[in-house]
Amino acid sequence: MALDPDKQRQRSARLAELLARTALSDQQAFAELYRQTSSHLYAVALRILRESGAAEEVLQESYVNIWHHAGSYVAAKSQPLTWLTSIVRNRCLDQLRRREVDTVTIDDEEPGMTLADDRPSPMELLLSSADALAVRGCVEGLEAAQKQAIALAFYQGLSHSELARHLRQPLGTVKSWVRRGLERLKACLDGAGVSR
Amino acid sequence: MNYVKPERLDALAAQYVLGTLSRAARARVARLARGNETVAAALRAWENRLLPLAESLPPVAPPERVWPAILARIQGQRGSGSIWANLGLWRGLTLAGFATAVALAVVILAPRPETPMESMVVVLAGQDARPALLVSADRSGRTLLIKAVAPVLPTSDRVLQLWALPQQGNPRSLGLIPASGAASNVVRLDLTVPAGQALQNIPALAVSLEPPGGSPTGLPTGPVLYTGPIQRLY
Repeated sequence: MALDPDKQRQRSARLAELLARTALSDQQAFAELYRQTSSHLYAVALRILRESGAAEEVLQESYVNIWHHAGSYVAAKSQPLTWLTSIVRNRCLDQLRRREVDTVTIDDEEPGMTLADDRPSPMELLLSSADALAVRGCVEGLEAAQKQAIALAFYQGLSHSELARHLRQPLGTVKSWVRRGLERLKACLDGAGVSR
Repeated sequence: MNYVKPERLDALAAQYVLGTLSRAARARVARLARGNETVAAALRAWENRLLPLAESLPPVAPPERVWPAILARIQGQRGSGSIWANLGLWRGLTLAGFATAVALAVVILAPRPETPMESMVVVLAGQDARPALLVSADRSGRTLLIKAVAPVLPTSDRVLQLWALPQQGNPRSLGLIPASGAASNVVRLDLTVPAGQALQNIPALAVSLEPPGGSPTGLPTGPVLYTGPIQRLY
């Protein structure tokens, strides 16, 4: 998955162009945007929602939303893939939180890492993304507990209370792992000039 | 809760983007971000920091039925068909508007009855398919005449920019539409080359809302308000 920086820039420029044309109701550009991004966005949704039907539905709604709001993408403020990912992730997380409220009494299964499959674990993902993104130092600078909590929250969509249950720790402890981990990540990323 | 301390805001934004907030807290942050650029910017900063982490997920191709379902939904909605693949839509769109356009074009171009009418007309319509602007030009002239045929959005801190939409490649700016001061609502947009050349092989025009001075990127950055196909009367 590690793209070199030049290829990554080219890809971003291409996606930004497709978004600009989508904003002008250019259906061919929109189709191309779908071809280039849907398997990435579907993977994001599938991972968080853990259910293909729900992930499919979110993907569909997200692209309809992208079609209508492509004009509000501002290239100077975010990378196109980041913008697209935020649309899908927000929908997934909203749905997940809604679902939890609906099923609060039967929510006893272990979420996340214990799912029996051969997918890479959240921790593996966090570390491999660090490979790809030149933020290796930042992720590696986190304490093990912070790393684990952030990886589970980010890739699996676990809330603070789910993290506490999953990691068998008091809620306050887990919250402070997350908070300190994020603070440290921010200081490191901003210091390295990675985020913008 | 209308005011949030900066440190608190940053922590909330971080947790919103990471995804750990409860349903109620998520809803509250999303609500705050809607009317408040400071909150929206804090969210964006965290998205820029964290979301690239998602790129390490192995891609999974969605089922093939998803794309046709998306297409059906965007085409089923009024006025949002593709102007590229679906020019037919525009023909049926505003027959009345087009008739008006032709009539007006005839009036505009009447002083030269002895030459063939080498002119073009574009009726630009919004999402509701109602004509908003009428653009006309003499093919050899270097001026586009633009007439507002409906009340066009009043904009104090935004300008309207006119774009040529080629079959292939990026939209090309034709310039900013001057604010109309005249009672007639007709404004002139000067071109650097004759209209026939500027619009050669261009099937359609669009108007987008841009910051003062026009799009900083050379591509439309704001919402596209109006689009319409070029009708050539020659």
